[in-house]
Amino acid sequence: MCNPEGGLHAALRRVFETAGYRRYKMSKFEEYDLYSRNRSFLQSEKVLTFTDTDGKLLALKPDVTLSIIKNFRGSQGLEKLYYHENVYRASGVGFREIEQAGLECIGDVDEYSVCEVLSLAAKSLMTVGRDCELDISHLGLLCDLLDGFGDDLKSRVLRFFGGKNTGELRSLLESSGVPDEAALRIIELSDIDCPADEAPKKLQDILGGYVSWERLQLFCDTCRFLGDEFPGMIRVDFSTVGDLSYYSGIIFRGFIDGVPESVLSGGQYDNLAEKLSKHARAIGFALYLDLIDPLLLHKTEYDCDALLLYSEDKEPQEIYHEVKNLQEKGLSVMTAREVPAGLKFREIYSLKEGGAVRVE
Amino acid sequence: MNDIVNVALPKGRLGEKVYEMFKAAGYPCEALEDPGRRLTFENPDAGIRYFWVKPSDVAIYVEKGAADIGVAGKDILLEYVPDVYELLDVGLGKCRMCVAAPDDFKDDYRKTLRVATKFPHVAKEHYSGVGRDIEIIKLNGSIELAPILGLSDVIVDIVETGATLKQNGLKVFDALFDISARLIANKSGYRFKREKIDLIRKKLETVKENKDD
Repeated sequence: MCNPEGGLHAALRRVFETAGYRRYKMSKFEEYDLYSRNRSFLQSEKVLTFTDTDGKLLALKPDVTLSIIKNFRGSQGLEKLYYHENVYRASGVGFREIEQAGLECIGDVDEYSVCEVLSLAAKSLMTVGRDCELDISHLGLLCDLLDGFGDDLKSRVLRFFGGKNTGELRSLLESSGVPDEAALRIIELSDIDCPADEAPKKLQDILGGYVSWERLQLFCDTCRFLGDEFPGMIRVDFSTVGDLSYYSGIIFRGFIDGVPESVLSGGQYDNLAEKLSKHARAIGFALYLDLIDPLLLHKTEYDCDALLLYSEDKEPQEIYHEVKNLQEKGLSVMTAREVPAGLKFREIYSLKEGGAVRVE
Repeated sequence: MNDIVNVALPKGRLGEKVYEMFKAAGYPCEALEDPGRRLTFENPDAGIRYFWVKPSDVAIYVEKGAADIGVAGKDILLEYVPDVYELLDVGLGKCRMCVAAPDDFKDDYRKTLRVATKFPHVAKEHYSGVGRDIEIIKLNGSIELAPILGLSDVIVDIVETGATLKQNGLKVFDALFDISARLIANKSGYRFKREKIDLIRKKLETVKENKDD
């Protein structure tokens, strides 16, 4: 029988491997110190810890990116890695084991590598086979526009960008004494939510002359590329924001119809690489498989296609032979001496003299 | 399923006013006006389905995607910080989040300040911002009683007219922020029903502006 989750995981592996990404298998544990120094990069500050036999404080990994970048050696040039791992995070009232697949591209990351990662993010979403959308924005451009703002004001502006809360953004800029023209530009940027191919013109109109020209041109080129390659699927939406101390450039989120939160999250995290003393550029994303897998499970009326009932006096070979016969007809088969309570079967067979006889 | 926009309305007076705005915006629902024992109310022609939920639960229904949009108070949004879009201030349910205490209260900085509130996150954010050491006493109702009986020094609570405070010998010492009801949207649902939700937001904005005029 087909395993739809397994199908998705294999499809993702194909997406990553055909682009030359190599599997990175890692231990479930990491020294706690790595997380204590980079708490704000984690989705939750709570980490499951334990003391190793040599007295070292270890943690069950709450994140994969930190471990990969920690192990990156500058001499490796461009490292392209993918992973499929479980991470352990505090969620609600306790910790949860969360299944993630994703990739990281670290080192001499050029504009092609950025486009490649974004296209792999889009293709990863498409493997699920449902309506999906990839939203991108650029924190570098936003920071250029907020140049001179204090950290507190910047983080409040970012919060209102993230909530599409134009009303309060306007009030904040007004009460903070931001000149009208600059405030208007910021508000117009926060309003951008359009297909990727329509974004360059809007961005040039709003940002031209106020941000790094090179950065703006490169982002517009990326938008045009994505708009052409994935028509209708990629939008430029400046409500896509992240932590400025880690992310530096393009940032993106993926959504699938039927899942109430983003299932894919990624971006350029040069600032994190710098923080970990790696003089490299870096971009990557993670796909949250635990959010997607439930979509792929078809509701089934029956727990198993067939039940084969047998009595104690039957020989194992005889039972095995009848199970094989039924399986060859394409049925999944459970065997038992009595009908298991609470389970439903499409067909029930009883093993009699001379073979299996259908009784229900 | 994608043709219908699911709307979580807060039960009570505020929710009724919010529904009147939706109705004026072109999203009426006869079934909702004569509810009986039903829990959901649908107008397929207008492409909308309403359901009433406890006001403090609206943000949860929207964040988890059970509702595409909803209307929740800013107090709830600041307390629970749900990951949702805040698309419009609908201008209803206006009040303020305040620090209130007995008329003769004087803050003694040598002691930890005891704060009774239904909004522990809001209270913590406010006092950590001013560097004041506090003990939070989380209550679920009758907050005004806490300082009267000596359970707390001050309260952090919503104040609409101040009449209840006055009747109980309390007064506002600090106004933290203004509160009103906000139209919120699920971040994923918004993407797949963008045109419909944007149209609802625009129409509600027009209704609000007409009311203000």
